[in-house]
Amino acid sequence: MNPQLEGIESLTGTHLFDLECSARTLRLNRFLHDLAIPEKRALFKASPEAALEQAGLTEAERTMVRNLDWGGLIRYGASFFTLEKLGRVSGVSNPGMVAHMRGETLEEFLKTRNVPGAR
Amino acid sequence: MARIIGGIGTSHVPTIGVAFDRKKNDDPDWAPLFKGYAPVAQWLEQKKPDVLVFFYNDHANTFFFDHYPTFALGVSAQFPIADEGTGVRPVPPIKGHPRLARHMAESLVNDEFDISVFQELPIDHGCNSPLTMLWPGAVAAGVWPGALVPIEVNVLQHPVPTPLRCYKLGQAVRRAVESYPEDLKVVVVGTGGLSHQMNGERAGFNNEAWDMKFLDLIERDPGALTAMRLADFARLGGTEGAEVIMWLAMRGALSEGVKKTYQNYYLPMTTAMAVALFEEPGPEAPRR
Repeated sequence: MNPQLEGIESLTGTHLFDLECSARTLRLNRFLHDLAIPEKRALFKASPEAALEQAGLTEAERTMVRNLDWGGLIRYGASFFTLEKLGRVSGVSNPGMVAHMRGETLEEFLKTRNVPGAR
Repeated sequence: MARIIGGIGTSHVPTIGVAFDRKKNDDPDWAPLFKGYAPVAQWLEQKKPDVLVFFYNDHANTFFFDHYPTFALGVSAQFPIADEGTGVRPVPPIKGHPRLARHMAESLVNDEFDISVFQELPIDHGCNSPLTMLWPGAVAAGVWPGALVPIEVNVLQHPVPTPLRCYKLGQAVRRAVESYPEDLKVVVVGTGGLSHQMNGERAGFNNEAWDMKFLDLIERDPGALTAMRLADFARLGGTEGAEVIMWLAMRGALSEGVKKTYQNYYLPMTTAMAVALFEEPGPEAPRR
């Protein structure tokens, strides 16, 4: 255990991205990361199944990507910062992703915010 | 000799850049943010620093996890703006300061701070989102009024550098800047935070009381912050809020007697947005 992170497990609903996660999800994170490359983004938009096939993702990974299952993808070990690129290409904002991870609708989440229009 | 005349701590939330690009200055939801940055922009306009040394983090745009540097220094004359998935922001490419940056690389490495270097890689909102608030006239002018020396810090993939190590990096950066022979006015900028979390069921976590305490301690007692562990920062300010360790790098590059002369805090959505100005005592660096 990294001594800097001792006690982090007591923070319920927290999924830290570390080298163990990174090694396990490298292929998935590479696929997500590459959505910031215009050609890869265009392929995913035009033919998502072809993009998933090209990336060589497992069936479980493909299902989570198809369903935009942000909470599932984070628990699986993806990085939020590569997931953001799937958010942008799919038209989902960060508040939308956060709401999903909390198990709320976007409308429910926005009600908990100081300035719901600032997004 | 190059001189550090002050420091700026600022959030780098991507929506700060989006609000700027969409000219939301007078939108009631965003006006408090624009007004909050105005005094800092005016200070920069008045002081006209030659260089901003910018401690920031990449968001898997410049680098990927196949090679993720703990600390990396940008040493080229220019850095393109990164496409983060929605096209490139309509702002000028980042202007570097290769001579100072090369000197800093040499000074840091000889000072046993073995930093990696990069050239001409695209840089993301970690730099460019606060930059348009700090230098708001640059987009219309088509050019930034000064140069940047970007210093990337890994806050994405643990192990992340310790709070104390970030502070020590700042101290080494001060020695590097002050040993540069050319007369330059330098401002150090630390970005990130304040409280927020972007993963798991705890996503959306904020802690305004902790944010206020942090804004106090960063001026008065940075030692209290370097004594904390990353888990403490995550507990108090959220896992992503722990990126405020980059403010500690900025603070480490400032003198003990530096004064915080201004701050603004705005928490509209998921991330607390703060900006703070730190001014060094003493005479102005001589103008060239």
